[in-house]
Order: sequence, then C-alpha cells, then structure tokens
Amino acid sequence: MNYKELTKKLVRECLNRGADKAEVYLQNARNLSVSVRNNDIEKIEEADSIGIGFRVIVGNRLGFSHCNDFSDKSLQDTIKRAIDFAKLTTSDENNLLPAQEGYTEVEGLYDPEIVKISMDKKINMALELEKLAMKDERITDSSGSGYGERDTEVFIANSNGLSKSYKSGGCSLSVGVVAHKGDQRSSGYDWSSRRFFADLDSLENIAKNAARRAYEMLDPKSIQTQRASVIFEDRVSSRLIGGIIGALNGLRVLRGASFLSDSMNKKFASDLITITDDGTRPKGLASAPFDGEGVPTKKRTLVENGVVKNFYYNTYAASRAGTESTGNASRGRYTSPPGISTHNILVPAGKHTPKQIIEATNKGLLVNSLTGSGLNTTTGDFSGGAEGFWIENGKIQHPVRGLTIAGSAEEVLKGIDMLGDDLDMNRSMITPTLRVKEMQIGGV
Amino acid sequence: MSNKKLSKRNISRRKFLDLSMKGGLLVAATPTLLSGLVSFKEGTKPMPGIATDKSTLSKVIAKALERGGDFADVYVENRISREISMEESIFTSGVYGIRQGAGVRVICGDKTGFAYSDDISEKSLMRAAEVASYVARNGSDKITPIDLATAERKSYVTVKQPLDEIADEKRTELMKRADQAALDYDSKIRMTEINYYDQVRSRVIANSEGLYLSDELPLIMFIVNTLGDDGNRRHMGRQRESYHSGFEMFDKVSPEAMAKKAARESVDMLDAGDSPAGTMDVVMENGWGGVLVHEAVGHPLEADNIAKGIGAFTGKLGKKVAAECFTMVDDGTIPNYRGTINYDDEGTPARKNVLIENGVLKGYMTDVLSAKQLDMKRTGNGRRESYRHIPIPRMTNTFIQKGTDKPDDIVASTEKGLYVQSLGGGSVNPITGQFNFTCRESYIIENGKKTKPVRGATLVGSCMDIVSNIDAVGDDLDFGVGFCGKAGQTAEVTVGQPTVRIRGINVGGSRA
Repeated sequence: MNYKELTKKLVRECLNRGADKAEVYLQNARNLSVSVRNNDIEKIEEADSIGIGFRVIVGNRLGFSHCNDFSDKSLQDTIKRAIDFAKLTTSDENNLLPAQEGYTEVEGLYDPEIVKISMDKKINMALELEKLAMKDERITDSSGSGYGERDTEVFIANSNGLSKSYKSGGCSLSVGVVAHKGDQRSSGYDWSSRRFFADLDSLENIAKNAARRAYEMLDPKSIQTQRASVIFEDRVSSRLIGGIIGALNGLRVLRGASFLSDSMNKKFASDLITITDDGTRPKGLASAPFDGEGVPTKKRTLVENGVVKNFYYNTYAASRAGTESTGNASRGRYTSPPGISTHNILVPAGKHTPKQIIEATNKGLLVNSLTGSGLNTTTGDFSGGAEGFWIENGKIQHPVRGLTIAGSAEEVLKGIDMLGDDLDMNRSMITPTLRVKEMQIGGV
Repeated sequence: MSNKKLSKRNISRRKFLDLSMKGGLLVAATPTLLSGLVSFKEGTKPMPGIATDKSTLSKVIAKALERGGDFADVYVENRISREISMEESIFTSGVYGIRQGAGVRVICGDKTGFAYSDDISEKSLMRAAEVASYVARNGSDKITPIDLATAERKSYVTVKQPLDEIADEKRTELMKRADQAALDYDSKIRMTEINYYDQVRSRVIANSEGLYLSDELPLIMFIVNTLGDDGNRRHMGRQRESYHSGFEMFDKVSPEAMAKKAARESVDMLDAGDSPAGTMDVVMENGWGGVLVHEAVGHPLEADNIAKGIGAFTGKLGKKVAAECFTMVDDGTIPNYRGTINYDDEGTPARKNVLIENGVLKGYMTDVLSAKQLDMKRTGNGRRESYRHIPIPRMTNTFIQKGTDKPDDIVASTEKGLYVQSLGGGSVNPITGQFNFTCRESYIIENGKKTKPVRGATLVGSCMDIVSNIDAVGDDLDFGVGFCGKAGQTAEVTVGQPTVRIRGINVGGSRA
C-alpha cells in the first residue's frame, strides 16, 4: 500500500465527512529486541506495528481518534468518532494546522545496514557483552544484556496541502550486572544507543562501565546531614537541565505552571549555563527533518549565559503566544495529538576536566545516580535521592548511598560554579559534569 | 539457572527478518474483527471472528511449539478508549481510540520468544507463532493441536451502566462540575487540568495447557489537578479516582469532592516552608501512602528478579524480614478496584496473596515463567500492558493490612518527625532495594502535633530497613490509585495502607 497516497486520501475523507481542517498521521514501526542472560538467550521479541491518528478541527473545535485496523469500515468509523468528539470540545481559534513550508535536510537518520546484519551476530554481541561485563571477579551476577533495534516510518498529510514523510531508525546495546558481597547487592548498568550500527560503543567499554558502576559502590559509608558542594556527573546533570527544559515548554509557560513563566530575558541561572535545542544534528538520536505535525526542525538557543532567550512551541501553543511554531511538536506514537518537546539538547562544555572539579572541591558529594523528581518545573525547587562518592580535600574518600539532596531554584541554578569539558555527543541530552557550590545533603 | 553453552542456532536471518518485515504491509488487506467486538460489548457472543475461535487458536499454539518449547500462549486484545482533556476551563481535546492485536509467546526452559501483530487474521497469527517459535531449539515430536476448553473463572467486576451506552456529554458534565468546584474553592486557584479516561479491554487467552478464556474489563479514571498561585509560590494539587466499573462509579465518586480536596492541597501548600533534611521518624497518612510499600517491598517481591537470584528478597522465604506488626497483601479480587483483574493476562485466577505475615516472608508474586523457574504456584500476577508486551509479574491491589493503633495516637506518640499526608511518585531498584519518594504534601510533627506544612521533601532508604522500622500500624486502612511502571510497561494498580509510622527514614529537604 502507498501510505503517502493513503494519508492524503484520508484527509479528503475527513473533509468530506464534515471536518473544516484535518490531519492524518501514520506511523509504521518495526522492533527487534534480544535479551541474554547467563550465556544463553533469555528472550527474543519481534514486532511490527502500524496505526493512524486523525486530528480534525470542526469550527475551531478539536477532535482526535486513532486506530490500527486499516479496513475501510474501521477507518470510516474512526474518522466519524473524531468528528463527533470535536463537537464536545471548546472552540479555540488557536486550533490550526501548519502549511507545507520546506524541509530541513537531516543526515544520518536511517542506517540501511542494520537489517542486513545477521541475527546471529546481534545475539553473539549481546552474549559477548555479558561475558565481558562478568569478567571482573567482584561481579557475581548478571541481570542480563541485550541488543535492540527499531525503525519507524512516518507519513503526515493535512488539509493545508502538507504531505511529508521520513524514515528513521536506531540500535542499542545494554548490560546490567550485580556485585554481591555479604548482605550487600550493588547493581551497575551501561548502554550505548546510536542511529548507526557501526557507531555503537565498543563492547569492552560498555562492559567495563557497567561493571565499574556495580563494584565501585560496594562498602558505602554514611555521612552526616550537612551543607556541601554537589557535583553532578554528566549522566545525572541531564536531570537538572531537564527540569529547566520542562519549564521552558511554551504551553506550560502560558498556563503559568512554570517557574520560568515570567523570566523571558531574565537571568535565572549561572553564567555558565547555555542551552541549545537542535533537531537537525546529523545522526542525532532526537533529530528529524520535521516535527510531529510537519513543521521543519531548527537549531535554537533556549538559554544563554543563564538568561532565558526562547521558549519552544508547537503550532497551537505558538498561536496562543502570538508567535510561530518552533518545530517542537512531539508525537509519541500515532495514538495521541501533538504535544510539545525538545529535540537534541546541548549544554556547551566548560573549562575543567571532571578530575579538576573534584580536586577543587574541599568537601562535597559526587553524584552518579539520582532518583526522584529532581527539579520541579512548577516551583524550580530541587529535591532527590542520591548516590555517589564523598569528597574531602579534593579527593574521593568512599562511596555513599541513601542520601538526599535539595535546594531552592535560586540556590541550585545560580549556584552552578564549575562546568566540565566532558560531553558525550551520542546522547539526545548532552550535558557536562557540573558543580553546585552548596546544597543541603541529608544523611544520618 | 541455565548455564549451558549456547547451542548453534540455525535461525535463518533472512527468513527471520523477512517474517518480521512483512507484517506491516499485509495489515491493510485483512478483515476486521471490530464489528464482532463491538457487538460483544452489547452483550451478544464473546469475540466471534475467524482468529479467536478455539480451533484457530489451537492451530496457532501448535505452530508456536513446532520447534519445541514447554509452553505457548496466544493473547488477543481489543481496546476501545475515550480520553477527554480540560485545561484552563476549556475542553482542549477528545481522543477516541481503537487498538487491537495479538501476541504469541513461546517459553522454552528459561527462554522466551515473543511476536505480536496488529492484525488478528489467522495468517498473521500463524506468522507471529512462527517468529516466536524460533527461540525453541530442543526439537519436538510432532505436535498435535491441543483441545481448548473454556475455563471457569469468577468475576469481581460488575457493570450496571456500560460505558458505550453513556453519552459523551455526561462525561464532559462531570469535568465541568469538577472545574467549577475547584475554581469556587479559593481565588488562589489559578486554573485546573481535568482528565477523563475510560476504556473497555476485551481479551481472549488461549494456551498450550488447553486453557481458553475471554472477557472484557471496563476501566474509568478521573483526574483533577489544580494550580494554586498566590503571586509568589505555586503548587499543583492532585486527586485521582479509578475503578474497573461501569459509569455508576460516579454514584460513589463525586467530582466536586475531588476538586475540593485537590484545591485544598494547592492552597494549603502555598504557605509551606522548606523541608528539613536528615534522618527522622515519618508518619504516613492512610491511603495513597501505600505506594511507598508498593515500591519498596512490592516490586522486590515480584518473582522475576527472585528467579534470577538477584532480587533483594532472594532466599528470604519463611524468614523474618519485617516488624511483627507488618502484614502485606496483594489481592486481585477486591470488587471493582482498579487493580482487580478476575484472572491475570495468562489466565491464572486472581487471588488474595499474603506476601508478608506478621513480619515473615510468605510468598512472592509469580507469573507462568517465574513460577516454573522457582517451582512455585502461579499467584495470578502475570500481567501485560497490552498485546504488544509480554506478561511479567506485577502487583494488583497491594496494601498493608490494618492494625490496631489509633491514627491520632500514632501522631501523638511521635515527638518529632514528618507527617506525610500525600506522596507523589517514587521508584525502587529491585536488586539493591534502594527506594526514593517525593512528598506532595507533608507537615512537621513537633511534640506529638502536626504543625506547619513543608514542601519538596524526598524520602530515601532501603526496603529491608523500612519494613523493619515500621512500629505502629493504624486501624484506618484506605486506598489510592495509580499507574505502575516496570520494564517499559504500565499497569493499573491500587495501593493501600492504614496510617503507619516508620522510624528513621532519610528525609531530603533544603533546610538544615
């Protein structure tokens, strides 16, 4: 079946049935995942899924429906449901659909080699990865290793004459291990996720990192409740930055549910913090030629030296704010109307190596695992559970577990006083190690 | 646990991938079951149609076991859902969804093969069975199709007003009422976000043990969020109610009462100060607070990590793991509750399972695979988010059994600590047992009295410590509803507890 023609035909069908504006979004996805444990296959999962979402606007009222059954009767019934549902919702002149505009060319979204690589090779990689991660004698158990891949084709058509499609894909490797010592169990996990198979991190690296993360946390000691510096490793600094990103969501801002609602062009964070959102980075995990409703993606600066420069919008929120869509309409699956989210986030690197940051810390906590809500997007306050290492006199002393860290928006975001030079360009959220001068740490 | 060397697999990679690639392209040309399923909802015949009859499913199971294996099952599902959103007093979207498909699974030793299809034709099911069958390598004698027989199961879900007979305006009416009640509560309520969701999930389950089952489960969820804003601070308050029920759920659940509760939280918390930090005694109010033991104790008692020998409670069966006053139960049979399931998604009847009794570990929650691996009975906890996911051990309605202490006495006998009135979300690492929680609404306890509100408190600790340190259990058992995420799958659950006190939890706040 020609999906491009199908989506265009279904847009006409929506109009024929009474919609004033209509959008049809079709997603066709294929998944494969292999899990191995204790040197044997544990699970092989394989699937295709395909479905269509209908967004209709009837007299400025919005209705949405979806189905994954492509029989004519079901498609017709689903369209009718969307139109019926539109009658329930409130008229809103901001319910608009984008025009065709152009394409942004984005390189490296699909690796045609992935499907050509044999199942045996993929399974053997997962087996080898587990074996390597178990090599260290401190590692006692495996919680499994795995290989996964996915490719997705998207087709969008709307009644403004927009008709676009693209194909993307990716693959990943992951492993989890356990270090069991007396009554203690410590787990470590690492992964690599890439657009291209050849770009996957080496098995040795992934294995080594997972094993290290498990054994290095053995024999933790407790510390007193106190105020001290907190260093967020790159893996967890993304949680802090993620809270800022959530607060820059244009719709959240319009609703007053963001702590940055009144902060445009105001300084809310340290000079060291600049944040860009880039949907066009070649091979980027969150790159795409256009967003979830067909608007071309861009590269934009959201925060510059601690000052809010831009919010991000989809078509609806942009219209409400009296501006243009920034190409940030998100679409999880075909089952929901467009939301709002960023693409590849980057916080440009600072001047110090992570080692230098530790050495410059008289007393503090190096966090390598963060749980809980993190930065609250409504209030800006930070609160979470933390694990990591205790630092005194610029040196790591011992692992620590079961701690809490907290601070107000002011204290945490303006208190960022050192930024690392370590950026892992293969993530969708690229943030370096960073240090907050002082936070409240809860211990015994 | 299997430690044997990997045998030479002769999966033809082209064939494997070809099989998987074809699925999507054929979907469009196949007939639909929808009309049959819709008529099922109207109370005629369960799941008619070519691919859910016993003889077809029997063939699919035989195909799945063609290369060997110990167990195979087919799960066919149709889900019709409605979701209406109201934000800032306007109806922003209405989403109507139809999702259907089938998953075929093969278990061979410790291995699982799984494939699913969005299409429920015989051809697609046979293809899924073939893909799933590749995991089995132990060969087999010629499999003859087994006879499927409809099994008897009790139902714990009653419906008086079927959801598909309710006009959509009745749904939006409830939302308007909640919105108005919240805005009327206080001028500091800046806006509301109200979400109505319902679904009817029809399922057919058949397996190589000859089991055949079909039923449908309605589910409603109603969520009220209110934003309090005094020009200086903001706080989002929340109330959620959910039952496996027809529309008569709203005879018991009042949108106005929910809105007032959420609005009260929003307004009261605007005056909250910073939370203290450090280890202290915590009194947890009855109801949704049960999510703490759901995470901290429930997840580590799910048998998958126990079977792997890596779960925090591995090897502790029959041993004392908690305080004497602590009894915890998972019960999938409480009439119409959100976590109630009649039978799990593998067909095992729902049960009341005592997990920890007076501090002694009595049992784990199993699915077919982990029960086999541990040589234990199936407990009715094999649940799956949809046909796109494999069953894994999950909780249903999980709660701390009520005790004898009076809630007021528990607070009065706590000299200094934190009173947690409402929790947000949390998580646990089931291997290390380390958990964390965010408090939505909490108060300082001083000299046995609940005093000023504090915001942003986080609770952390280890599951072993928490169950040992519970020293008071109230007589006021109540429940709350939520979503539980595990291994990329979401399950609808209820949690519950009476008011309890836990000695010495690490509380995170920004105040020294």
